[in-house]
Amino acid sequence: MAFFVGIDVGSGYSKAVVCENRTLKSYAIMPSGGDYKESARRIADEALSKINISINDVAYTVAAGYGATMVGFANRTSTDISCHAKGVHHLFPDVRTVIDIGAQYSRAIRLDNNGSIVNFIMNEKCAGGSGKFLLIIARILHMDVNDIGSLSLTATKPVEFTTACAVFAESEAVSRISEGALPADILAGLHNAMASKIATLITRIGLTPDFAVTGGGAKDIGLVKAIEAELGKSVLTTDEPHITAALGAALLASESL
Amino acid sequence: MKRYFAGLDIGSTMTKVVVIGDSIEASIIGPTGPEHRKLANKVMEDALIKAHLAFEDLSYIVATGYGRINVPFADRQITEITCHAKGLFYLLPTVKTIVDIGGQDSKGIKIKDGKVNNFVMNDKCAAGTGRFLEVIADSLNVPLERLGEISISANRAAEISSTCTVFAEHEVTNQLANGESVANLIAGVHMSVATRVSSLVKKLQIEKDIAITGGGAKNIGLVKALEEKFGCPVLVPPEPLITGALGAAIMGKEIFEKFAREGQTPTRSGHGLEEARFFS
Repeated sequence: MAFFVGIDVGSGYSKAVVCENRTLKSYAIMPSGGDYKESARRIADEALSKINISINDVAYTVAAGYGATMVGFANRTSTDISCHAKGVHHLFPDVRTVIDIGAQYSRAIRLDNNGSIVNFIMNEKCAGGSGKFLLIIARILHMDVNDIGSLSLTATKPVEFTTACAVFAESEAVSRISEGALPADILAGLHNAMASKIATLITRIGLTPDFAVTGGGAKDIGLVKAIEAELGKSVLTTDEPHITAALGAALLASESL
Repeated sequence: MKRYFAGLDIGSTMTKVVVIGDSIEASIIGPTGPEHRKLANKVMEDALIKAHLAFEDLSYIVATGYGRINVPFADRQITEITCHAKGLFYLLPTVKTIVDIGGQDSKGIKIKDGKVNNFVMNDKCAAGTGRFLEVIADSLNVPLERLGEISISANRAAEISSTCTVFAEHEVTNQLANGESVANLIAGVHMSVATRVSSLVKKLQIEKDIAITGGGAKNIGLVKALEEKFGCPVLVPPEPLITGALGAAIMGKEIFEKFAREGQTPTRSGHGLEEARFFS
């Protein structure tokens, strides 16, 4: 049986997905670090070894993401936008608007009924709507970034932030903390500021349901709820939103032979 | 009897006080600490000592800047835009366009007949403000006030492609690791701020002369980068940090004199040199 691999080397994390018969068989996630070539090799090994196969059993590999060109063993590269679209359409065929929150970028992608990309817009100019902002928030509160989402949901009086600039919001948060604001209320306020930034991307591309949030940012339940509140609509996520583009890449690989 | 007036400019990073009589009697510049809400009285005291005056010698006090509402003994609060324009017009009467680069915002102000005609402001994004320079100076481990002189020795400005302060900081660190010189990086950072500020100020119809004020004006590298962007000289007042406080003091003097012409005196705050207790 033929196996197909998708690799997504992001600026924050590297992700690998192994598919067989267009079905996800295995995946792996790890920080990209400074050596993309090495991370790509290691992440592929990890995903393959989980199902006891080797690179020799792989029929085709597609690489995407920030470090796509560094994946030496890939048969070809694809854009991460195409891979995201592919992955999302596979998981949620009714989704027309995708919000991808990556480590450095956030973007909104519009899909048609066939899952083809109609339009997309990126925010790569500002850390305000990116995963970087979540890391900054976590650092201010001395928390693990994976824990901030659930704490944010317990807020009773979210702090209002005057800007979504990561630098200014950081100092504003520090001032509010010194005035006695609770961590949960600070977090909820920062999630709201970030959600409003992300919502402007969505408004620009058009508010067509269903909505899905992908990328590492989608793991933050506080952010996802804040986006839902900002849009006044519910959004879909998966258990592993990180691997959406890698899944799409593996599906593209399956179609390449 | 000679009358004295004081202007206090409580900025996000620095607190400035100017005392004037017929001309500038004394000026003080100190950091705005987390306690600045309470400590305006201390800075005022220092300025009065320097001017050999007592608090009672002041006929009118005007506060301006980000923290202006936190000065209980100020008789009036006036926005920093009005005060900057007033102060700069006093120092450099030929100026028609002012660029103000502060600790956490940047502004463009148009002056007509000595008054504010129009203005633009960025306080939503750290790029193009003093904060951007502060973050980079920190990560390069260079004191903020030395950025200017170091950048002068650059042989070219390194290309900084990110606008965002957070991303630019990473970019600078990476380029440093790849062997780019600190001087070239700082020159690149000045160019980045100048690009951002000039595109903000160009929303106004720019007229010469152009002057720069605020903390950014003390950075010769940034001034040179702005001159390159505007394509003309940029005037720098002798002490750019005190422009707002000077303008506030002059506004105070004008308000007082206006009342005096009608045989009246303006209402005072009724507070002495005390801490702002209503915040604690």
